[in-house]
Amino acid sequence: MTSVADRLRDLETIVGPANLLTATEAVSQYRVDGQQPLGVVLPATAEQVAAVLALASQTGLSVLPRGAGRHMHLGAVPGPIGLVVSLARLSRIVDFDYENLTITAQAGTTLAAVQQAAAERGQMLSLDPPGGDEATIGGIAATNLAGPLRMRYGAPRDLVIGVRAALSDGTLIKAGGKTVKNVAGYELTKLLVGSFGTLAAITEVTVRLAPVPEATAMLAAALPLDRIRAIARELAASRLEIASLTACDALSLRRARLSPMLRASPESRWLLIGLVGDRSAVDRQERDARAAIGDGCLRLDADDATRAWRGLREVAYPSVESETIARVSLPVSETVALMEAIARWEGWWALGRIEQGIVHAGAPPGESVEKVMGKLRELRGLAESTGGILVLEAASPEAKRGFPVWGDSPNLDLMRKLKESYDPAGTLGCGRYLVGL
Amino acid sequence: MVDRKLVRALQRAVGRQNVLTEPADVLLYSYDSSTTVGKPEAVVFPGSTDEVAKVVKVCADRATPFVPRGAGTNLSGGSVPLRGGVVIALSRLNRVLEIDRENQRAVVQPSVVNLDLQKTLAEYGMQFCPDPASQKVSTLGGNVAENAGGPHCLKYGVTVNHVLGLTVVLPNGEVRQFGGKVLDTPGYDLVGAFIGSEGTLGVVTEMVLALRPLPEDAQIVLGIFETLEAAGETVSRIIAAGMMPAAMEIMDRQTIAAVEASFPSGLPLDVEAVLLIELDGLKESLDRQAEQCAQICRELKARSVQIGRTQAERDKLWAARKSAFGATARLSPAMLVNDATVPRTKLPEVLRHIQEIERRHGIRIAKIFHAGDGNLHSNILYDRNDPQDFARAEAATAEIFKVCVEAGGTLTGEHGVGAEKVKFMRLLYSPEDIEAQRKLKLVFDPKGIANPGKILPEPVTAEVAPQ
Repeated sequence: MTSVADRLRDLETIVGPANLLTATEAVSQYRVDGQQPLGVVLPATAEQVAAVLALASQTGLSVLPRGAGRHMHLGAVPGPIGLVVSLARLSRIVDFDYENLTITAQAGTTLAAVQQAAAERGQMLSLDPPGGDEATIGGIAATNLAGPLRMRYGAPRDLVIGVRAALSDGTLIKAGGKTVKNVAGYELTKLLVGSFGTLAAITEVTVRLAPVPEATAMLAAALPLDRIRAIARELAASRLEIASLTACDALSLRRARLSPMLRASPESRWLLIGLVGDRSAVDRQERDARAAIGDGCLRLDADDATRAWRGLREVAYPSVESETIARVSLPVSETVALMEAIARWEGWWALGRIEQGIVHAGAPPGESVEKVMGKLRELRGLAESTGGILVLEAASPEAKRGFPVWGDSPNLDLMRKLKESYDPAGTLGCGRYLVGL
Repeated sequence: MVDRKLVRALQRAVGRQNVLTEPADVLLYSYDSSTTVGKPEAVVFPGSTDEVAKVVKVCADRATPFVPRGAGTNLSGGSVPLRGGVVIALSRLNRVLEIDRENQRAVVQPSVVNLDLQKTLAEYGMQFCPDPASQKVSTLGGNVAENAGGPHCLKYGVTVNHVLGLTVVLPNGEVRQFGGKVLDTPGYDLVGAFIGSEGTLGVVTEMVLALRPLPEDAQIVLGIFETLEAAGETVSRIIAAGMMPAAMEIMDRQTIAAVEASFPSGLPLDVEAVLLIELDGLKESLDRQAEQCAQICRELKARSVQIGRTQAERDKLWAARKSAFGATARLSPAMLVNDATVPRTKLPEVLRHIQEIERRHGIRIAKIFHAGDGNLHSNILYDRNDPQDFARAEAATAEIFKVCVEAGGTLTGEHGVGAEKVKFMRLLYSPEDIEAQRKLKLVFDPKGIANPGKILPEPVTAEVAPQ
């Protein structure tokens, strides 16, 4: 076994001394759940990524791939981290094929850069995950995170049509391609999207784009939860193609920075209705939604609407370290009932993406770890009783150690075999995914 | 020679009456809608997930190959038992188990026919978006196995975008649930990996489908063009204008002639392209969008432009396109179908190459394409009884694949690799890419008994590795 110093020297020859960080101060910026990596490598090419992974595998260094570091709070507390492999320098847009509504970008390209390029042709990448536009395209693919636009446009799983990736043995592979329809071979793209960098390090992503809609709008109405449920049911079953139906309590409005613009009383919640389409479609959606809601429906002005879209997007992003936030996926029909249950908990906030069947909920700051874990167990029980699941998206390392972040996975044996097959040395991911993957 | 022990074990699993072994009976399961044939030892008709599991267990214990089969409409040999063994005919698993309107989910067994489900859903104002052209016959299990597409994929995506959960029997006979009714079940996307795996990772016995409300209304714009380029450019400009039609379909001169010969619908025979544009959504948007599309057609010198607003008008305009495949098949004793897909804007360039291939080989190729998503059906007409003609058709197919891959496309958009495109996989993928795919196969099917001989070419040994 070579010494750590020797191994790091070999890395230096791959990426150059300037792109290997080992000084405590520099490396501490890359801590995950308090764990400090031995070093941080910043390769410039896919080939360098592959070489770094191969060296790490051969020498027994574990690797955590990283984009802009916007979602490192997700996942279980990692085991010892050998290297953080930052993909930030792989930030080139490889091919913007606007006529075919696709863009191919290296993994470290920020969402902002993708959006800026697409906007020049009146297009956009219709993904709005929490964590802002500084998140990278590779990170978004690896986490499969989406936001309020999901029901209208899909999640990364739907929009990523091709990837290139480095396996931990140093092999570079491609999967998928540039066409929406592609059934030539197995869908490794699907396998890698949402795998949190535990099977391979994604080095390049091809995604579908959409035309920027002619109009968007945000309607808002303060209503009791049972009315919200009835209206949401009516609108979701209609042919209006409404983009998002969100129920917010007073605390989640504050988190989304929408209060005092919208004021929630203890017995009522706000229903926010996001509309997307051409002008005539959005006008019609507004008309029908107002008819369903009755009095008291506001259409936010342009600035407020922009703030509302952003707020609904960022509400589930932890604003301070060690904040506790859970995501529950459950049947659409159970979304509001779960919010009612959480409303009885002192200090907890909840926001329901009703159209998706997703509730984000968070504990009050300063709550003891024991108390938080008790409530999380209760919440998971409620979710599972409806056929749903709970993932703990953010929490202190202490809480994460005491509570299974991902919950049960019924096919863990298969997933372990996949992991062993693609990453036999167990180099990638440092055990943050599921149970030790 | 029929293996008596195998047959007895299968009979125990599903009942004597649900096992066929007579040569005349099993012959019916030796082919599909492609040119591939194989010979099953036995055909079984399980009536439940449990019985499928028992059958697969029998196969696993004896390392006997098995091939799941739906309606047998496969166009790439995917449902043909290349290496003999057992055909698992899923025709008895044909029930819609649940339609959950509020949660917009359906739970179905694999042999529910796509269109039958659509008809049931339409009563509730809902749909399952994937609607491959074969939907009158093809089953949802087959749609999942192939990751089926159809004409509406640019706007609505393919099958994998609309399936949330699967019950599968793994090749060792274990029953597993992947995904479910809710979004984002944690773990690797086994649903996504399984969809499009063509029966090579196991047998799907139940599916959870995501539904959507039907669009409120639709309109059709039909443009008739003197050149294929003009039709292609029209599609480009429609997309550049920010519109997202539900479907855009182009038929070439050969296809128009075929349609008019069999199902006359008044299309002119002296033009190079018919472009059909389907717009759907809210009534309020459609008039303007249809007019805008028609205007673009006129700017590109369409000889004529029609707009279909009512259901009857729309059906009339769609009729020619919907009959195209059948009509083309009547032009010659046989037809070699392929569905290579390229980035849409490469279509004109690829078409020029295909026309050149046609001339060089002295064959006829009727072309229909899903112009919105670049999926090109070049149907090669040939005579099955003329070996030279078949050889020419095969040679042309290989050349078309090469052209499409070089244009940044793929071998197959919706028909699958099956048996027929295995030999072309290395055009598209490096040895490393193929081996990465094989890892997935081996995790699910280490013994290689699930639909063997499909999708992946054999590993390249060191001595014959191409340089």
